[in-house]
Amino acid sequence: MDLSGRFGARSGDGVPFREAAALESLHIGGGEEFRQMVPPENAGGFAALLELPPTQAVELLHSSSSSASQATTLHSLGTLSFPSNPLLMERASRFSVIATDNQQNGNVSGETTTTSSVPSNEHIKTEPAETETCDQAAVEKQSNRCGKRKELDKKVKSSTKKKNKSSEENEKLPYVHVRARRGQATDSHSLAERARREKINARMKLLQELVPGCDKIQGTALVLDEIINHVQSLQRQVEMLSMRLASVNPRIDFNLDTILASENGSLMDGSFNGATMQLAWPLQVMETEQSYHHRQLQQPPSQQWPFDGLNQPVWGREENQDHGNDHNNLMVGSTSLHPNQVKMEL
Amino acid sequence: MASAYNPIYTDVPEKDVFALHFLQTLSNLRTQNSFSSPDNKTSDRVKKIKKAAYVSMARAAGGTNRLWSRSLLHQAAKRNNKNVRFLRRKRRVTWLMRRRSNRGDPIEDVAAERLRNLVPGGGGMETSKLMEETAHYIKCLSMQVKVMQCLVDGLSPK
Repeated sequence: MDLSGRFGARSGDGVPFREAAALESLHIGGGEEFRQMVPPENAGGFAALLELPPTQAVELLHSSSSSASQATTLHSLGTLSFPSNPLLMERASRFSVIATDNQQNGNVSGETTTTSSVPSNEHIKTEPAETETCDQAAVEKQSNRCGKRKELDKKVKSSTKKKNKSSEENEKLPYVHVRARRGQATDSHSLAERARREKINARMKLLQELVPGCDKIQGTALVLDEIINHVQSLQRQVEMLSMRLASVNPRIDFNLDTILASENGSLMDGSFNGATMQLAWPLQVMETEQSYHHRQLQQPPSQQWPFDGLNQPVWGREENQDHGNDHNNLMVGSTSLHPNQVKMEL
Repeated sequence: MASAYNPIYTDVPEKDVFALHFLQTLSNLRTQNSFSSPDNKTSDRVKKIKKAAYVSMARAAGGTNRLWSRSLLHQAAKRNNKNVRFLRRKRRVTWLMRRRSNRGDPIEDVAAERLRNLVPGGGGMETSKLMEETAHYIKCLSMQVKVMQCLVDGLSPK
């Protein structure tokens, strides 16, 4: 194929060459990630290829070219030295770069538009691969499907690629493309496996931040052990506290005058006056909770299972009814539990 | 709090939501006759309170929106022999289990098994989903622990 010949061409003369970026992303929303402008001569070819607004395409090309200009041979693309800005690095790593002859750059861009316009429009789709917001099942299916596409791509582009990381564009995209690293197998199984492992690593990082003292630890197994210990300790704490509550409770009989007496006497006086205050706080909490539920519904919708649409209204209605009943009970039973509770805890 | 954008959604509501739910559940326990009678064994009471704590935590943390809370509530309802009110979500178990059995990263799997036993509802989840649920579960657990600690401190004699 013409393409393989063209793309496989290497210029070993060490002159910094321009690459025709085999870009995976057609819709690149993040134009703000690229800080540099590119000479407009490349804009025409790539804009057509990418179907992007020319400025963005130009920025893309320049970022990839500037990053690769530090690499002199095709082999060194395996270790692309991206700009030192870590943010830019992370985001620019989504674009794979291909080396061509620099003299042919003008021709290449022209030719890539013509010869590769048809196949590349199939192959090069926009895809940042990190799928944290994507529906998991769809992702897995899609990554299987694009495994075949990757094999085709591999024939065409023999250069190294990097795994994509993405951010906000995920929300628009239903599927994931993963690029093979250099020297690794490209069958669909290992690609999907790699995607899965990346996902797991991302979530592991999240867990590491949660659990205190986990960031120092190196290695997955120890971190997981630490997380498990933390969960176990929390569950044991809940059990301990419930034992203490059980021992405490019969004495008090849930009459929280004692709380009022022990905590703030002045508040007790105020709370007797403010009958509205008794109702106000639970209502406010109810609103917070409602907003939280709404937020959960509106937030990444791809993460919600389809049944949640059915579950949530049913459950929400029942909860409201429960709360209504409990409100009455609590108001009758306790004097001004809630404001004091608020005092204690907040 | 951290303002970095995290595509994994793990927010938990404020402490007062947890407090409200817990107190409501406790007051429900109060109204039960069997609870405050003195011949009640302490261990029974402890178990009831513990279950109340978990159920209220599950409700506060988002009802049936999260996997772990859903299965927690389901367990609780089953034990009470209540009518199961929640729709049982059809789990895409077959495909997921196939994937899980294929990929056996031995380091992860051992720990993932333990985690599955700990986190409610962990049996049917992929590892990455499991870790999301664990993160949310940890946040909610710590919130619940704080609430209970405050309650105990408030109720214990000075």
